[in-house]
Amino acid sequence: MKTFLLFLLYMVLAVLVILMAILLGNSGAWYFAWLVGTTMIVLIAAAGASLLDTQDEHAAQGATHGDSP
Amino acid sequence: MHDLNVVDLSRLQFALTALYHYLFVPLTLGLSMLLAAMETVYVVTRKPIYRQMTQFWGKLFLINFALGVATGLTMEFEFGTNWSFYSSFVGDIFGAPLAIEGLMAFFMESTFVGLMAFGWERLRPGQHLAVTYLVALGSNLSALWILVANAFMQSPVGAHFNPATMRMELSSLPALIFNHDAQAKFVHTSIAGFVTAAIFVTGVSAFYLLRKRHVDLARRSFRMAALFGVLATIGVITLGDALGFVGAQAQPTKLAAMEALWTTEKAPMPFNLVAFPSQSEQTNHGTLQVPYALSLLVTHSLDGSVPGVDQLEKDAVRRIHDGIPAVTALKTLSANPSDATALQQFKAHEKDLGYGFLLERYAPDVTQATPAQVNQAARDTIPAVAPVFWSFRVMVAMGLAMLAFFVMAVIYTMRNNVQDKRWFLKLAVWMIPVPFLANEAGWLVAELGRQPWTVYEMLPTWMSASTHSLGYMIFSITGFVLLYTVFIVVEMYLMVRAIRTGPGTSPGFGEDARLNPAPEA
Repeated sequence: MKTFLLFLLYMVLAVLVILMAILLGNSGAWYFAWLVGTTMIVLIAAAGASLLDTQDEHAAQGATHGDSP
Repeated sequence: MHDLNVVDLSRLQFALTALYHYLFVPLTLGLSMLLAAMETVYVVTRKPIYRQMTQFWGKLFLINFALGVATGLTMEFEFGTNWSFYSSFVGDIFGAPLAIEGLMAFFMESTFVGLMAFGWERLRPGQHLAVTYLVALGSNLSALWILVANAFMQSPVGAHFNPATMRMELSSLPALIFNHDAQAKFVHTSIAGFVTAAIFVTGVSAFYLLRKRHVDLARRSFRMAALFGVLATIGVITLGDALGFVGAQAQPTKLAAMEALWTTEKAPMPFNLVAFPSQSEQTNHGTLQVPYALSLLVTHSLDGSVPGVDQLEKDAVRRIHDGIPAVTALKTLSANPSDATALQQFKAHEKDLGYGFLLERYAPDVTQATPAQVNQAARDTIPAVAPVFWSFRVMVAMGLAMLAFFVMAVIYTMRNNVQDKRWFLKLAVWMIPVPFLANEAGWLVAELGRQPWTVYEMLPTWMSASTHSLGYMIFSITGFVLLYTVFIVVEMYLMVRAIRTGPGTSPGFGEDARLNPAPEA
């Protein structure tokens, strides 16, 4: 049930995005660009933090196994 | 007749309060979005360090937010107190986005800021994250409505002048919202806020790394802000170009001032990299040019040309002559609204009414204006070139410097050795004022370049101000300077204290003692 609800939520979001793209495509292209661009910037910044955690974990594992970089 | 000293003082007061307010706005816009990114990582990974990061930067966000609200409210009142004719003339249009901003965005922002600050123990992580995103969205929506209103002043669309009411009236809300100037300006301004926040976070993180304090928090904050900043800076430069492209068509006089273009030249036009413009001589001294670059930048083509001041002044003379019958017809309609001949005459010359108003400054009876007075009014259509020219270059130079900084920051942080580059960390701390100065320079380009109009080609600035006494203006400016000096001292004190204290050593703003161990050093 939880998976179905999540699926439903994401589908609604996807439809909303498509609708916004259609509505804003002609008259509000820069507004749409802001929505897409801001989402991308936020997610890439978040991904960068996760990558740092992974780098730290690898470095720690390397140190434990005696093959630190 | 307006006292021109009062008009100048009203402009000075608005500029001072707006520039001051604009010190806080970009950081709010960007930091709210960066908080959302940090909290997203917390909700996904459930690592306490990201919650601590969100709470620490959230505390600095709240200090800045409070000052932004306090200084923003006075500006909305200033329209009524110091710019009463302007408010009356375009209030039907200008008031709509301001009201939407107040009702929708501002209340949304304020409500969710409270939940964000005090809801850490009351909301589930997912709910709190949603609140943080709503704060970020609300902050940026506030900026959107303000910039929609501002864009109407720069490029008035979706409205018409009604001679029956002697006011401008809104004819299309969608045209107002989707104004090309509003779109380009909102995106440019909002993303400039992201850059400001990214520089602020990298700078403060670098401060901690230099002192080897809160290293885990600082490394992660630096990494996130560097990635956030490099993308945002690329965006802000691209969107600045878009804004220039839109502005070149909507406000050719602003473009001529930005580029110190005194004469219309054939394509491909050179770009004045450095110049010392002389308004009285209408020429540049000490010019350093880049061949072909202006045509490419402004028209995106080597064949494109844009009008210089000489051409624009000739156009202004023609439009002033065309505006004279519009003003005379309007005066007749003011006395007798049912005069069909006057109405017909007004309709025929309506588009140049603003130019007629410009002439009224020198010739109260415009029908008796001399050619010298017409030429003087035409010269007024060109903004003060030197400040616009140099503000633009300062903004662009700082933008490029920040791009170079962020590229280096990303390289070092992705190699995971930024903490070892002490020279770069020191540079990061010194970079903190740069985006604030760039933002202020951008505001100066936009608003000084709009002169002599409050509403471009429709309402001159000299007509827009209230008829206060000189003493009243001096008193209120002095009051604002004193009050705002106190504000900035308090802001700086709170910010510096919060940064020096660091995360997790003082209660408040939702900080959770369980997640905040004693400081590392």
